[in-house]
This record gives sequence, structure tokens and C-alpha cells, in this order.
Amino acid sequence: MGYNWYFQIVWDYREVFFRGAEVTAELTIGALAISLSLGLALGLCRSSRVGFVRWPAALYVELFRSTPILVQLVWIYYALPILSGVQMGNVLSAAVGIGLHSAAYVAEIFRAGIKSIERGQMDAAKSIGMRYSAAMRRIILPQAVRRMIPPFINEFATLIKLTTLGSVLAVNELLHESENLINNTYRPLEVYTALAIVFAVIIFPFIYLSQRLERYWRVRG
Amino acid sequence: MNGGPAITVRGLHKYFGRLHVLRGIDLVVGRGEVLVLIGPSGSGKSTLLRCIDFLEEYDQGEIWLGRDLVGYRRNAAGRLVRDRDAAVSRVRARMGMVFQSFNLFPHKTVLENVIEGPVIVKGQKRDEAIPPAKALLDRVGLSDKLHAYPTQLSGGQQQRAAIARALAMQPEAMLFDEPTSSLDPELVGEVLEVMRGLAADGMTMIVATHEMGFAQEIADRVMMIDHGMIVESGRPEQIFGAPAQERTAEFLRRVRH
Ligand SMILES: Nc1ncnc2c1ncn2[C@@H]1O[C@H](COP(=O)(O)OP(=O)(O)OP(=O)(O)O)[C@@H](O)[C@H]1O
Ligand SMILES: [Mg+2]
Repeated sequence: MGYNWYFQIVWDYREVFFRGAEVTAELTIGALAISLSLGLALGLCRSSRVGFVRWPAALYVELFRSTPILVQLVWIYYALPILSGVQMGNVLSAAVGIGLHSAAYVAEIFRAGIKSIERGQMDAAKSIGMRYSAAMRRIILPQAVRRMIPPFINEFATLIKLTTLGSVLAVNELLHESENLINNTYRPLEVYTALAIVFAVIIFPFIYLSQRLERYWRVRG
Repeated sequence: MNGGPAITVRGLHKYFGRLHVLRGIDLVVGRGEVLVLIGPSGSGKSTLLRCIDFLEEYDQGEIWLGRDLVGYRRNAAGRLVRDRDAAVSRVRARMGMVFQSFNLFPHKTVLENVIEGPVIVKGQKRDEAIPPAKALLDRVGLSDKLHAYPTQLSGGQQQRAAIARALAMQPEAMLFDEPTSSLDPELVGEVLEVMRGLAADGMTMIVATHEMGFAQEIADRVMMIDHGMIVESGRPEQIFGAPAQERTAEFLRRVRH
């Protein structure tokens, strides 16, 4: 343990971290927008009574859950342009890739939330003459969303962590900026340690909040 | 309204997968009539009520609410096809259903539960819907619980609120599926009292219940169901006093022990 820590270096190059954090935030917001909107749509489709609505959504979810996200990212960045002729930049590719991946998990959270509402609620809504869509909107979803919030927050924390994978597409997010910095300073221990702490500080509050909410709502029904 | 029957069921069959749950049910309920369904657990009483409200699709036969087929319509070729969601909902809105487990909407207050149907289904304004809803809640004895949430109520209060919610749609008929089975014994009476009032007011009712005393008292007709078939049906004093079928007699001996 004779290593001489030199954390001053992190402070000296703080600009690099801020820059990286900005890109990480961009990636997070972009991926989150895709993940939530697509995930909600997929989750609703998976809860549908109609087979040809349900099956494609199920296929999507299983496909994205059973392949590594790294493979999905490089596929979108390198293979998709060849097939489609559309070349997205590396930041957009990473955001789309992470968003598409996370959407599969959001869809599952959404479906599980809807499924967790007792069947009697839909029965009661129908029995007073509500149509399926109205029953979903006014009776099922408002109850389900509450149960979905804690797992959603967890998924959000996961998504922030996944943005580090942008580094393989040379996106200048936190991890990639850190690696650049190490190449200049030869101080991997300080830089990686600082990076880990930065992520922990960002993510821990969300995980804590999720656990608190879960406990709070378990008690209050 | 015409003078025909309120509810007609003809040749009704229902399967759950390979399980043949209803095996040819025929019944006619007149307007203002109270029909009580009795029979052992698993005989198909709930399923029959759920089919009538089209909460379950039935496989064969016909169910009519007044002159309207429930859940199906005849296409150009004269074949029965599943009706559209909107049409099914319109028919359902004309029947009230009360469940064993109440099924109040837990995220809404008692008053909001009751006006949900009038506002969302009938398109009334909130302000229009509230006075009659309050009157109904008064009638079931819940004037002081308008703004309570279901979890803050006793089982008996919840069930009375659920009855008010169904009545708010001004239904032509009410279906009760063991409305007191999940209540503590001391809370059963208050719910039965509300149902008694409804019957006295001439509401058409089909009631599945294990409360034999209540059945005898409230029923115009009692129908014994077993294994998805009607064993017999008749006036309560006949069914309870001198059942024609041995299966009915045996069932009554068992529940009265
Ligand atoms: N959703 C379902 N899926 C499969 N089988 C079902 C379903 N609902 C009911 N059944 C079966 O159908 C049969 C009739 O059930 P039903 O609930 O109609 O009986 P019941 O007369 O209401 O009984 P109880 O007095 O216990 O309420 C039972 O064998 C039951 O297990
Ligand atoms: Mg039952």
C-alpha cells in the first residue's frame, strides 16, 4: 500500500469531468425520453387483449432482454447504417441504443404494474358501463402508476449507469473523458476512483428514494 | 319500458378451457322480480351472473336484457358475432353488479366512486351528478362518509357504497354475487337491509347468496343450481319447505346442518 494518492489532479482537471457530465446528462435525457415513451407503448401493447398487438411487443421485449446491450449499441452504430443508409452520430446512436434497450425493461415494469391491479377493478369499471379504454385510463392506470414509480426510479438509475457504455462509441461522456484524462496524466487510480464517487453521489439518492417510496406505499396500500 | 321480461337466458353454455361450467341454463326474470340463486360452491352461480353482465364471454346460447342481446349481435348473414366494445358497454350500463369483494375504486372517495359512472359513462356534469349521488348515499346510510376513501370504511360500509355506485347508473336490473359472503357476521344485516329496500321498491334483482334465511325472505323465486344446471326452481316456501329434488334437499340439509 505504498501508493501515493494525488487527488489534486482530479480537482485540477475538473473541467474535464464537467464536460463529461454534460454529455452524460444529454445521453441520459435522450435515452430516457425514448425509453419511457417506447416502453409505455410497448407495455400497453403487451397488456392488450389482442394477439397481433401483443406479440410484436413481446418479441421486442424478449429480443432486447436476451442480447447484450453492448452488442445492441455496436449494431446500431456500425450495422444499422449499412442496412438503412442512415448514419446517426455517435451520441445519438448511443442515446437511441440505450433508450431502445431500457424500453424493454420499462415495458415490463409497466405490464407488471397493470397486472398487479386486481381483476375486480376492471370488472367493476365495466359493470358501470365504462369502456375498456376509459377503465384503463381512469381506474387501472392511476392505481398501477403508483406501484410502478419505485421500479421506474430504479430503472432510471440503471440507465444513468448504462450511459458509460457510450464510451465504446467514443462518446465523450464521463467514462470516456476520464480515460482521455488518464492517457494524459497516467493517474488511473485517482481518476477512476473519482469517477466512481461521482456516479455514486448522483445515483444513490434515486435508489434511496425508490426504497423509501416502496416502503411508504406498502404501508399505505 | 315494455311489459316483457327484464332478463332472459336461453340455452346458456360456458366453458373455462375444457371445464364445462354452465350446461344449458334457461331462465326468465320478470320486471320487479327477485330471483335468488342457491347451490353448492363451484356450481356456477358467479359465472352465470358474470355472463349476464358479459364480464365473461359465453360459448353458446343467448342472454337478453329486455329486447337487447347481451354481448353479441346478429351480422348480415344472421350469425351471432361479438358486439363492439361500445355496444357491450351500453348494455352493461343498464345493469348494476355487486361483487363479493366490493371492488370499490380505492383511489377515489365514496362520492367519486358513485359519480364515476354518471359522469364518465353518461356524460353528466359533476355538479349535476353530485346531488343524486348524495341522495343515494343517504339512502344506504353513508351520508357521513362522502369524502372517505374505501380503505377507511368497514366491509359493510364498502358494500353499501358499492351498491350506491351501481344504483347511480339507474339500472334496469341489479345482479348480486354473494354480497355478504366476505363480511363479518355483525355487518351482514346492514347490507341485507339495503337490498330489502331495493326489492320493496320493485327493483329487478338476481341474487346469488348463501344466506338461506334472507333468500327465503326476499325471493319471489329460488333457483337451485348444481354442476352448471338448474336442479329446480320455485317459490321460496316450496324450495325451502318441500324441495322436489333430492339434491336440493341434501344441499339444504348441509347448509343448515
Ligand atoms: N376464471 C376462471 N377460470 C377457470 N375456471 C373458473 C374461472 N372462474 C370460475 N371457474 C370455475 O368454474 C366453476 C364455477 O365457478 P363459480 O365461481 O361460478 O361457482 P359459484 O357457484 O359461484 O361458487 P361459490 O359459491 O364458491 O361462489 C368452478 O369449478 C370454478 O373453479
Ligand atoms: Mg361465486
